[in-house]
Amino acid sequence: MNPEALLACLTTPACIVTQVSAGMIIGMLIFLVASGVTLIFGVLKVVNFTHGSFYMLGVYFALTAYGLTGSYAVSLLAGAIGVGLFGVVFERFFMSKVYNADVLMQLLVCYAFILILDDVVKTVWGGDFLKMGMPEEFALPPIKVWDGFVPPFYAFLTVFAVLIAVLVAALLGLTRFGKIVRAAAVNRQMVSVLGINTSLVYALIFGLGSVLAGLAGALAAPVRSAVPGMGFDILIESFIVTVIGGMGSMGGAFIAAIGIGLIRSFGTIGFPLATEGVMFAIMAIVLLIKPTGLFGRRAA
Amino acid sequence: MTARLAITGLMKRFGGVVATDNVTLDFAPGSLTAIIGPNGAGKTTFFNLITGKLKPDGGEIRLDGVDISGQTQSEIVRRGIGRAFQVASIFPRFTVEDALTAAVLTHRQQTSSMLRRFPLPDAASRAREIMALVGLERVGKTPSRYLSHGDQKLLDIALALALEPKVLLLDEPTAGMGPEERWQMIERVQRLWSEVGMTLVFIEHDMDIVFKIAQTIRVLRYGKVLAEGTPDEIRSNEAVIEAYLGTSLEEPA
Amino acid sequence: MTARLEVLAGVVLGALVVALTLAFGDKALLDVLMRLAIFGLLALSLNILVGYTGLVSFGHAMFFGLGAYSFGLLMQSGAVSIPSAALITLVVACIWGGVVGTFCIRLDDIYFSFLTLAFQMLLYSIIIGWVSLTGGDQGLMGGIPRPPFLGINLAEPRQLFVLIVVVFVVCVLAIRQIVQSPFGFALRMIRDNAERARFLGLPVQRYKLIAFVLSGFFGSVSGILMSLYVSGAYPNFAFWSMSGDAIFMIILGGLTVFLGPLVGAAVFLLLNDNITRLTEHHGIVMGVVLLAIVLGMRKGFLDVLDEWWQARASRAEARAGGDRQ
Ligand SMILES: Nc1ncnc2c1ncn2[C@@H]1O[C@H](COP(=O)(O)OP(=O)(O)OP(=O)(O)O)[C@@H](O)[C@H]1O
Ligand SMILES: [Mg+2]
Repeated sequence: MNPEALLACLTTPACIVTQVSAGMIIGMLIFLVASGVTLIFGVLKVVNFTHGSFYMLGVYFALTAYGLTGSYAVSLLAGAIGVGLFGVVFERFFMSKVYNADVLMQLLVCYAFILILDDVVKTVWGGDFLKMGMPEEFALPPIKVWDGFVPPFYAFLTVFAVLIAVLVAALLGLTRFGKIVRAAAVNRQMVSVLGINTSLVYALIFGLGSVLAGLAGALAAPVRSAVPGMGFDILIESFIVTVIGGMGSMGGAFIAAIGIGLIRSFGTIGFPLATEGVMFAIMAIVLLIKPTGLFGRRAA
Repeated sequence: MTARLAITGLMKRFGGVVATDNVTLDFAPGSLTAIIGPNGAGKTTFFNLITGKLKPDGGEIRLDGVDISGQTQSEIVRRGIGRAFQVASIFPRFTVEDALTAAVLTHRQQTSSMLRRFPLPDAASRAREIMALVGLERVGKTPSRYLSHGDQKLLDIALALALEPKVLLLDEPTAGMGPEERWQMIERVQRLWSEVGMTLVFIEHDMDIVFKIAQTIRVLRYGKVLAEGTPDEIRSNEAVIEAYLGTSLEEPA
Repeated sequence: MTARLEVLAGVVLGALVVALTLAFGDKALLDVLMRLAIFGLLALSLNILVGYTGLVSFGHAMFFGLGAYSFGLLMQSGAVSIPSAALITLVVACIWGGVVGTFCIRLDDIYFSFLTLAFQMLLYSIIIGWVSLTGGDQGLMGGIPRPPFLGINLAEPRQLFVLIVVVFVVCVLAIRQIVQSPFGFALRMIRDNAERARFLGLPVQRYKLIAFVLSGFFGSVSGILMSLYVSGAYPNFAFWSMSGDAIFMIILGGLTVFLGPLVGAAVFLLLNDNITRLTEHHGIVMGVVLLAIVLGMRKGFLDVLDEWWQARASRAEARAGGDRQ
């Protein structure tokens, strides 16, 4: 516990800028994973507990692609597309088999895959920490903001994540595909009666949700070290964010994710041991006052 | 005579839809009433309001003179309004006998005991009484999920009976049954009513059944009370003939 | 079976196992049986929620970890005896269960699972973070003292074995009594159809909370036994994979048959030990086994038997009923 340090930081512009930018990338990564979870849940009504592992896969795919090509753009694509395809396969051959089963079965399928994926990653990439390092594209001088400096990659990550969020929102809100998805979320049978292949819609949504996790992983690769089992923490955080923000609310998840990111980042200065506790306390308070989350409508 | 259940000016809106529009209805103690009306008339909503599943936007619901609107479902249940559902709502993995015993225990508030063994003998014997009353003894040991559709509806009613309700609301007790099964079911309901002597209100689409057994009929349409009276009065009611019987041709048999 | 017969059977079986093991068994057998008792109790306690109340907790290991750490820390403080440390630990576990449960039962289905998981990870991160108290990722170091009490010396493996078996039998009988009581059937009603139960006037939320605390109580008993057995406490006791394993055990054995989770624990330990011996790819093998069970059978071994039995019985009744008509 170090309130003086926190106070000192909060009165120093340079420190504020540093911590806010660090908090933003934490928040954006959580948000991408959380929005994948929310998207899948909103339409398919299942919670993909493997989403953290998908994020981990994204990190490793990006690492390998970067090692092979040296291009970060390719890494991003590898993370997004690789995990997206994996998500579709996972949905078609495994998850779709338990849509009508109870929560326990869905949870167990996910648990099995968490075990398998952690082990596979360990087998393929080894159990040690791996680092990508900062890609050359971003080996630029830091950007001066106010009195402080923001690493260019941080700025890129934040802007890129927001862009993705806007893109996904546009896809769901403005296109015909989005219309079908929203209809299928409310009444699958009706949509399939209209001659639309809802299995395909489900697979695509699951794929899209996975793409978001894979992207998050690829975005994290330059700033996080990769290790088997790394997906779990972000899974928990993304759930916390969903609960705080309100189930099914992308906007809520976005705001909550930024909040959690800032708490994490400023917490490392002021209350390093209590950051988890603060996160949970916030979630507990939200649950007490508004069980459906800050921006959630009534639970279905 | 004072009414057992007195509804005054009941309102419920869902967005633009007024599902219950200023409904005022009385139900005399021991009466047998049918509620009819086309699909979407607001019949189920009416039951949901009485039983506290939905909160009314306005109006009063008095049970023996006490306003119960706004109370929770379990309070209302305890005050004596029981209900069976349009789609049978049962405990799939309980045998019929266990389900009824558990319902009796719940009603008697004896479920908190961890030191005794289920089933407590007197609850079990009460459960068997109820089974006999509705004619479910045949399948007492069968897990509810293996029951026929008709028996599941019967079990749903039996569960409501376990609460010894003063008022029993049945939402389409014969829904989804073949013609023969329907008559069996409705005869059971009628016998039940005459034996137990409670106030019974049922929603029904089959006009033959309604006109044969109901003492009074209430017709709902677009959330409003269109008409009420004895079967004969309803039969000769212009508004009903015009508005309701026209649409009833579209009802599935 | 009546309650009295069950107690009798439990005591006789327990005594038999103890006697035979002590007479003919070696150290390895003692170990196997103690682990089975501990993990069997963990799975059985979780099944109060999963199998009987229909609440899939994915955070049950929090009680396992809490029991082990709280008990271990109390013993290391040297201020209390083993029974009082156990008692204090159980009180702590009940309070934790009450507080955490109050939040968790506000949400249904998968959100309940997640919330329990989240609270467990909170405990885990406290254990990892509070190094000065818990030893962080090294666990409670230096062993847990086991001073004799009432003439019992738990530092002696055979006496420890007897104690663990006795506590196990007592807890199993207690859980059995709970799930066969009117309260236990109220939980089943909630599992089958909470909405209908509410409509019969059952205070569903309160019952869920009580079930949560009870499940946590017995879970922390198994945590206490674990810390006695390994003479320590480690963060992985409170890690999510421990919760996952406990669910795994339940599904392996079956959740509708009372002793299913115990059978599952036995199978799980057997699998686990042999896989660890045979291959490095522990996670892959366990994952594939789990997938095969979930997607192949969709339930545990004993569940399959139970269902078959029930279907047979009700067919027989239908036939008899048909004759009468
Ligand atoms: N929970 C709800 N939310 C929104 N609208 C509702 C809800 N429940 C009912 N409605 C609407 O209220 C109206 C009355 O519905 P209700 O189910 O009461 O009709 P009903 O007379 O029981 O019909 P049916 O004969 O088909 O059972 C319908 O327009 C329905 O769409
Ligand atoms: Mg209806």
